[in-house]
Amino acid sequence: MTTRHIVTPAMLALALIGLGGTAQAQEREVKITGFGAKSGVVRSFGVNSEAAMLAAADQINKAGGIKLGDGARGKIKVEFFDDRCVAEEGISVLRRIASSEAVVAVGPTCSNVAEPLFGVLQKKFGDASDTGVQMPIYTDVAVKGGLAKISEWAFRNVPSEAVMYDELFKYIKQRRPELKTVFGGVEEDFAHSRATWHAVMKEKFTEAGYQIGGEAKWLLADTNFANQVRDMKRINADIVAISAHPFSSCGVLKEMERQNVKPKLIIGLTSSSSLETMQGCAKQVEGTIIPTSFAPVTPLATAAADATAKFNGSLDLHSGAAWEIMIVLKDLMEKQGVIAKADTVKADREKIRAGLAGLKEHEGLIGKVRRTEDREAIKPFVFVVAKSGKWEVLHAPSM
Amino acid sequence: MDFYLALLQVIGIHALIGLSAYVVILTGQVSLAQAGFFAIGAYVAGMLTVLAGWHLIPALLAAGLVAGAVAFLVGFPALRVKGLMLVVATTAFGEAVRLFFFNFDYQVAKGGVRVGPLGGEGFKQIRFFPENGYTTLDVLVFIWVVVGVVMALLWWMDRSRAGAVLRAVGEDELAAQAMGIDLTAVKVAAMTAGGVIAGFGGAIYAHYTTHIEHFNFGIVLATFAIAYPILGGLSTAFGTVVAVLFIQGLLIEGLRFLGDWRNLLFGALIVLAMNLRPHGLLDAATTLRLRRLFGRGGAGRDA
Amino acid sequence: MMIDFLQSLVDGVLVGTTYSLIGIGFTLIFGVMHKINLSYASASVGGAYCGLLLVGAAGGKSALLVFLMAAAAAGVIGYVVYLTCFRFIPASHPLGTLMSTVGMLLLIDEIVVHATFGVPVAYPPLYEGPSIELGELYIRPDYLMVFAVGIAAMTVLTLLLYRSRLGLATRAVSQQPVAAQLCGIALYRVNAATFVVTGVLGGIAGAMIGASVGMLSPLLVLPLTVKGLIVTVIGGLGSIPGAIVAGLMVGGFENVLQYYRGVTERDLYVMLLLFVFLVFRPGGLFAAKSERN
Repeated sequence: MTTRHIVTPAMLALALIGLGGTAQAQEREVKITGFGAKSGVVRSFGVNSEAAMLAAADQINKAGGIKLGDGARGKIKVEFFDDRCVAEEGISVLRRIASSEAVVAVGPTCSNVAEPLFGVLQKKFGDASDTGVQMPIYTDVAVKGGLAKISEWAFRNVPSEAVMYDELFKYIKQRRPELKTVFGGVEEDFAHSRATWHAVMKEKFTEAGYQIGGEAKWLLADTNFANQVRDMKRINADIVAISAHPFSSCGVLKEMERQNVKPKLIIGLTSSSSLETMQGCAKQVEGTIIPTSFAPVTPLATAAADATAKFNGSLDLHSGAAWEIMIVLKDLMEKQGVIAKADTVKADREKIRAGLAGLKEHEGLIGKVRRTEDREAIKPFVFVVAKSGKWEVLHAPSM
Repeated sequence: MDFYLALLQVIGIHALIGLSAYVVILTGQVSLAQAGFFAIGAYVAGMLTVLAGWHLIPALLAAGLVAGAVAFLVGFPALRVKGLMLVVATTAFGEAVRLFFFNFDYQVAKGGVRVGPLGGEGFKQIRFFPENGYTTLDVLVFIWVVVGVVMALLWWMDRSRAGAVLRAVGEDELAAQAMGIDLTAVKVAAMTAGGVIAGFGGAIYAHYTTHIEHFNFGIVLATFAIAYPILGGLSTAFGTVVAVLFIQGLLIEGLRFLGDWRNLLFGALIVLAMNLRPHGLLDAATTLRLRRLFGRGGAGRDA
Repeated sequence: MMIDFLQSLVDGVLVGTTYSLIGIGFTLIFGVMHKINLSYASASVGGAYCGLLLVGAAGGKSALLVFLMAAAAAGVIGYVVYLTCFRFIPASHPLGTLMSTVGMLLLIDEIVVHATFGVPVAYPPLYEGPSIELGELYIRPDYLMVFAVGIAAMTVLTLLLYRSRLGLATRAVSQQPVAAQLCGIALYRVNAATFVVTGVLGGIAGAMIGASVGMLSPLLVLPLTVKGLIVTVIGGLGSIPGAIVAGLMVGGFENVLQYYRGVTERDLYVMLLLFVFLVFRPGGLFAAKSERN
């Protein structure tokens, strides 16, 4: 053992750290960097978002790429980083992206990463006294309500759950007026599911004239739901609303079967309208209705889903948003005259930020997406219902 | 450049939690409560800067004091048990702290919005650094000054009688007791010091991420806290910092270019490291060689 | 309300059977090697995954086959864990193996995540349908089966330990490793055998847990690891009956506390109680003869 043994690995480590960062451009590359969770139980989200981004970029590049501000043509280069759904790692990834030549960042997966991440950004654009990071972020997945207002650099293309559930409850009220009472179940320790029940569903149910009979809470990794379902049984509400991710949703649905609880209608969380739920409990989830901002109901959506499948991902409401983001960014960069040279990175980012801030609406996969003042989206949506192992479109409200 | 500076910030924060576990491990105790003390530091400092409008420096000191006081109080009962019992008892305590914050609401209205910890929703907008014009470099310097002070104190302690006492208790309790060392006093002192250091780390962490919630302070963080000193080796505090560089610098950020392999290699490389260097990356023999290399003592003692 | 309390207790105790099953594995390794294997729960769940994937790949559907394959796969994983985390790390250095098994836990978890995208997979149930009614109480039959497996495992292990040559060697190694080696016992082989046996048991435990939950997810691993450790220390290190009783106790306490205090405070009280218990009764319920580190 000599000093070489210490110094060599240290040098190697330093060299390795650098490797992810800079790639020399041969042609004019427009770097768009995605990030999200590709480790742990949320891995499927990152995998699908990456696939959608790659597929969309491939389609754009094959059609000639982007017309840049100085007349040159640019090709989109997508990179994707894993943040493991951990706040610090998300921040590190954001800083890595901000240090690179990427003009915009797309992500993250988890709301508990998005919230600190947006906090690290500069709060008000142009505020010289605020040393926060100046990097436009366009979020595809993290869906917890109202996060983009944290920073003027944060934009989201996630559905507004408030609007979706509002419409859904009105629709149900009209179609099945005999249903009057609601019992809510909520995964209490996860940012998204928790906020959706307490801040969205509960309020919208009351507004739609339903009576909340009771609620039960459980935790993300719980496996025993006997107490909660017993409460559910006792209250015997017409509707059971489950604001939880697939793992615990399935656990609760199976316990309901065991205790023979059969509400007249079950409503689920947006994120559970996925394959995961079908893999976990296709039989028990039968008949559950969920609002979602993606379903292959238009030719555009079907084509995008097929293209994403070629990159080994599946298109759902989350990765669908990533696809839309790529298309929006392409038009936006052309309109704003992004140059995409090494010395224009800062200006390009500001152009993109300004473009996104000024965007009022754009085409989405299943219809027009409207954008709000506080940098959020109001997306078209459909109601899907679980039917023999598949999510089928029940109704497509007109926007 | 900014990225490397920010990475060094993360490394600094993790070095603090690693050092907090290092002090305790020196006395032969494996404590999984460090994430709990870290959480206390994070919440206390965050509440002081956001709700009470304090400057970060007094808030940091207060965070260290509160976390240290809790560690002191926990130290007495906890250190009655040893080995695996202690691992589980401290896990229980650390989890209890985390779950306390999961249930902890304390919000006040400030400038029209309600700020402060809100149970499972977390505690957001802890933006002392950006609001006060700290650049990435400023924050880095701030963090490493704290790390530097802690390291210097530990280094000094290690060379003084106190260090020898700690190690004596860690090596052989009975012999140490026979020498007239008060075991409880030593262990509780180490636990308190560890609590203070973790409190500092937590205080900085809260301001680094700007948003904290109970999820951040779970068993995974507690495990990392003890992983750093064990992986780094217990012969000096520098070992802990080397291990933080290994995990945060190499395994997490350095291997990014490997894409999907990175997360698989993470665990595998920890296993490999323990097989190749069971006594730590910077074990006693290596430390000795390094000392000799820099011309300080140890010559001839190495066979 | 009395009936609700009783029902919560019964439900909790039944869920506790799964904690017992994991706890037995932890305690057995501790009994023989005086080391803790933190990757045990993840290896058990990993084995259960393997069973499902192997049988699924072969086009099979039989639940029994899945269980058998899970046990076999987990036995192999157990051996790999021994080789990678224990065999070459000095026995005098408990921190080293503590850390290597943490690395292994992370590795196994991530392999599972890569194989399944982290998505929960349905597991063949032991029993589907409504619970058994016993007076006013409802009882889930699948947990009764888990309990039966726990008792069976205890019986088999006790027989193995006290009636077989391997058991004799195992006990000898656990009490006096050096003396045992001098008597011609192959230390490494005995230790490896312990890991294979506990691995097989873990595979069965993982499969039973998957079957009773109805799904497998990497989410199960961390709670099971913590519960396994808790059960091991409460039951008394190295005590198999202790682990069984402790598992049922922890399960019961947990659910009763949830009934009274709600789910967000449940674990807070469980952890505080545990802390107090350990501090005042450091030997556990069935204290071992001598205190070990």
